[in-house]
Amino acid sequence: MARPLYDLVNNLPRHGLTCSLLGALDWVVPGEYKNITSFDEMIKNVTGSTDEAHIQKVGERAIHLFNDPSQGYQRALWLYQTIDSTQGLVGMAAFASKVAENVGFLSFLNRLTPKADTTQAIDLGMKLVAEIVAFCSLNGIPGDSIGDFVESLTDARHETRMRLGALVCVDGVLPLGPDFIIKATSLFDKMGVTAIASNERFQRISGMIPGNNSTDQVGFIKQGLTSIQGWATKFVTDQKVTVERIAGSLKGVSSRWEGSLDWMAAAIDMTTDYYEHTGIQTVARQCISRAAGEV
Amino acid sequence: MCSRTRMRLAPVLCVLLLCGALGCGGEDTTRWQAAQQESKAQPKAVTEAALPGATFNKFFPKQDGDIDIVFKQEKLGFAQASLQRGGSPIGMLSVFDTRSNPEARDKYKESKDSIGGFPAAVVGKSTSILVADRFQVQVQSEGEALPAEDRALWLEKFDLASLATAH
Repeated sequence: MARPLYDLVNNLPRHGLTCSLLGALDWVVPGEYKNITSFDEMIKNVTGSTDEAHIQKVGERAIHLFNDPSQGYQRALWLYQTIDSTQGLVGMAAFASKVAENVGFLSFLNRLTPKADTTQAIDLGMKLVAEIVAFCSLNGIPGDSIGDFVESLTDARHETRMRLGALVCVDGVLPLGPDFIIKATSLFDKMGVTAIASNERFQRISGMIPGNNSTDQVGFIKQGLTSIQGWATKFVTDQKVTVERIAGSLKGVSSRWEGSLDWMAAAIDMTTDYYEHTGIQTVARQCISRAAGEV
Repeated sequence: MCSRTRMRLAPVLCVLLLCGALGCGGEDTTRWQAAQQESKAQPKAVTEAALPGATFNKFFPKQDGDIDIVFKQEKLGFAQASLQRGGSPIGMLSVFDTRSNPEARDKYKESKDSIGGFPAAVVGKSTSILVADRFQVQVQSEGEALPAEDRALWLEKFDLASLATAH
């Protein structure tokens, strides 16, 4: 059985690089995100209730709903956690690749590690797929409902909006540029199904990706990327997201995030787990929101 | 164990005991532990006898003018939608088959209020009614957007007569 829901929320950090990253990107989703690290506070935030007896009932029902594997909350949590536990590896591969590009005598590493932009494209695609499948699992709809997911993007709120904003900035615009969706899909085409399917990150969550075989699954990822293009373009325009603005807001947060943009993106990959952090908050909010209607 | 060692270990033991009661996040989790234990012994939270959530969608209020109904969770025995005005959420609407949590019906036993002919209960910023002694219909306000009288009006906009005969 998964860890208790209240422990997951209560053990979220209040400080550290992940929190600093989310704080530094607040301008992308102004006023939308609050770092809630207490299960009790999350119940109060979702229900608006101050009645302790009611809070108790809602919390208990939320615990029961989360612990029932058939309700899909644990599956969503697994996705958010797993996609982040591979994140360090993406950063590492990107780092090794950058080292190989920048340091002549290490150039042989180029033969051993993938190019940074291809690893970042895979990272972006995998995180997006995790988001789509987790969304479907949380809301009780079939796992390949890309259309429903895309429709939900405009009214995504709280932690989900924060996570999507961070995805656009840190895994999209920063490493791949403002036209990151076009660049990522073109990189997917260049890599081909075999190369993507042999990727460690793909293999980790492939059991959850809709499709009967690798070709279908890679097709699903590309379809996911293409489908959010309209939303992503509007988001970047509306929030005035530029590489310079992202870099400007992140520089100075940590000395480990200095350097060129792709170094910065790789360093953030290695030192933060914003997907898991906000994913736990999203799962808790969903369980509590439902529980409030069931007590 | 010599007394000096015991003295050295005492603060460590205190911290460990405190960590056990509060959880490592520093929050007191005592109030949730019984539910967690109960749930571990019986992980099923929803009965198969409940109606599918999709059954309830057609009974929700309809979109009208600048009012949007955006469906959210749809699980066995439960359907939920966000009520939005001009693109901003003003409330959360839900229908729940109380067969999965019969205790939810208790609050209507003493109820003297009714909405649409069904017993009603107000808890904090939410108002609920119990339809046909089985389906809980709820409107929860987003912040202060929906006072109690508005919540009652929204409850009456559900197709309560059809819901009462849902099967």
